[in-house]
Amino acid sequence: MLRYFRARQAKLTPLLLLSPALLTMLFVVGIPMVFSFYTSLTPYRLTRPETIETFIGLRNYTRLLSDEAFWIAFGRTILFLAIALNVEFLLGLGIALLINRITWGQRTLRTIMMFPMMFSPILVGFQFKFIFNDNIGILNNALQSLGLADQAIPWLVDGKLAMFSIIFAEVWMSTSVFAILLLAGLFAMPRDPLEAAKVDGCNPWQVFRHIMLPFIMPFAFIAMTIRSLDVARAYDIVAVMTDGGPAGRTELLWTLIARMGYENARMGQANAMAYISTILSIAFTYYFFTKLVAARRFMGGAE
Amino acid sequence: MSRLTAKALLATALVPLLAAPVAAQDYGNFEGYTLRVKLIGGAQYEPLYAEISKWEEMTGATVEILSRKNHFELDREIKQDIAARTLDWCVGSNHTSFAPQYGNIYADLNELIDADTLDAFVPLVLEHSTVGGRLVQLPRHSDVSNMFYIKSLFADGDNQTAFKAEYGYDLAPPETWAQVLDQAKFFANPPDFYGTQFVGKDEAVVGRFYEMLVAEGGQLFTDDWEPTFNSEAGVRALQWFVDLYQSKAVPVGVPNYLWDDTGLGFASGTVALNLDWAGWSAFFNDPENSKVAGDVGLVRAPKGSSGKRTGWSGSHSFSITEACDNKDAAASFVTFITDHDRQMVEARNGLLPTRTAVWEDAKAEFAADGRDFMVDVFDTFATSMSEDAFTPPLIPEWIEVSNVLWPRLQAALVGDMTAQEALDKAAEEALLIMEDAGYR
Repeated sequence: MLRYFRARQAKLTPLLLLSPALLTMLFVVGIPMVFSFYTSLTPYRLTRPETIETFIGLRNYTRLLSDEAFWIAFGRTILFLAIALNVEFLLGLGIALLINRITWGQRTLRTIMMFPMMFSPILVGFQFKFIFNDNIGILNNALQSLGLADQAIPWLVDGKLAMFSIIFAEVWMSTSVFAILLLAGLFAMPRDPLEAAKVDGCNPWQVFRHIMLPFIMPFAFIAMTIRSLDVARAYDIVAVMTDGGPAGRTELLWTLIARMGYENARMGQANAMAYISTILSIAFTYYFFTKLVAARRFMGGAE
Repeated sequence: MSRLTAKALLATALVPLLAAPVAAQDYGNFEGYTLRVKLIGGAQYEPLYAEISKWEEMTGATVEILSRKNHFELDREIKQDIAARTLDWCVGSNHTSFAPQYGNIYADLNELIDADTLDAFVPLVLEHSTVGGRLVQLPRHSDVSNMFYIKSLFADGDNQTAFKAEYGYDLAPPETWAQVLDQAKFFANPPDFYGTQFVGKDEAVVGRFYEMLVAEGGQLFTDDWEPTFNSEAGVRALQWFVDLYQSKAVPVGVPNYLWDDTGLGFASGTVALNLDWAGWSAFFNDPENSKVAGDVGLVRAPKGSSGKRTGWSGSHSFSITEACDNKDAAASFVTFITDHDRQMVEARNGLLPTRTAVWEDAKAEFAADGRDFMVDVFDTFATSMSEDAFTPPLIPEWIEVSNVLWPRLQAALVGDMTAQEALDKAAEEALLIMEDAGYR
């Protein structure tokens, strides 16, 4: 009998030791998640707290299924993610490779490279909003003075140009995330395979393609996971630069959700939107993690 | 005039000045009490808060500023407080356009502030501060827009001849919006120079559309709250903006413009006419910031085809929460922070007062300092504040309705929809909001 209790105690000990962490998770993540999910099943309005008690089932969700504007924003967010991540990856890779080669002033350059990340996204938004202003913006003025344009280019009004401008601002701010992580990968890379490849007569492209790139891909996928979560909830820069306009041409999920939740005070509906949009983040995270595992396996020489 | 008479006059003139401290209001004694407040922050609003220490000295109370954020963030925070039922503060900054959203969280000031104090305010502004018969806010300063223009352009002889030849009437600062359209097209020479400009997104463009709708003789809702802005007058109002945009008389970026873009645009000297708020006056006439300083003219906002002038207006204000644990202290504080001398502090920075006497006194001070342009500004804005000003419908759904309207207004501007289609679609969506809210 006594032995039974001892054995049982031994089984409980890990649980007891884990309980502070589990409880914290429960209160910080679990309960808010359940609560916000519940509000998405109510017509909850921030300014009328009593509305939280009205249960309306999946009404908010069914409304969203037929809401064209929401799905367009959903698709646009995926496009935005895909373009921004790829451009940031390519630029970050380029910067990391260049910095990896220099021997003098590397640390200073690494610090300078991080400057854009130090600004608040709201300030970055304002900065680019004025750079891209069609009348008094520096870009159009420069283009006109240099004789490259004879009319004002509507950077923030034309649908494609506006998306370009926002992506440009996003890329300007966050390329260094990729650069830094990839640089860390390059630093950690052993010299032996590179030297062996040279001895075997590989050209620089082959060295890069078959040795360096596979080695740093896990770092790239970690950066992509982090950034995909970041970009999927892009809000500040877009809100300041265009607020989703004109005529919804740059509407992303979070400009739509924030307007619904706070300005219109319809938090129930906004939470339903947010829950659908988390599918996006989960999908991207899952995808990049699978890629990460595959890249690791490749590195380990299993394939 | 004999010396004696002069002295006598001087003495009489001084009486009000000497008498003032005696008559100064008693703000009460709230020794040891801490008044918790949430105020709007930002460069133009902060100078007033330096005065708060005077109230603390007079009453023995302490003011704890819980937050000092821009308007939209403060709005968000207050909505979160309502939702979380944590309204544990007494005084909050408010705005006539936002106030109706907050339901009954704010107290009726008619019961807290004496009638004499309220009588000193401009009656129309107090009316705008009243929601459902309750005075939920004490106005701090008001705002309305009037037409700024570059004087030399209108005085230029060649311009006058050419304009008359093309349009058949004399070139003069505009009296109607139809004239603004003509003049804007006449002056525009893109991409170097534009006739006029307007804000093109968010509640801002809805406000501009709304005032044009009123000036065209239309209205947003019928008496039983059915959206009716897709009427003939509504289409005419929106078409005015579309014509301006399509004829390239305004910068091509206007659908993305907000107040800072239009203000800085006019100050850059590349825009002939600019309907803007009083707060920009000093900036436009300051040589350090503005290329048109010294050349800025101002006329009252023009008339629409109904003969009514545009006059979308709003006032910043202070409210007292129903949950406040010491409403007397809160009332004393909001009375103090909007009293004559405090409003003079804001008026000197170009903000429009809400007390009748401050309009006159600020103007007299500008005249004495030789700031003729500011005298002109106060004259023009005083007239429009007392005769032309109107607010959006004071209902909680205003912001939500404006959020379905502005993307449609933009769609008409950039040519995705016709004015009629855009307004029909917005009216359909607005109807849904009004139905959801139980109006119909």
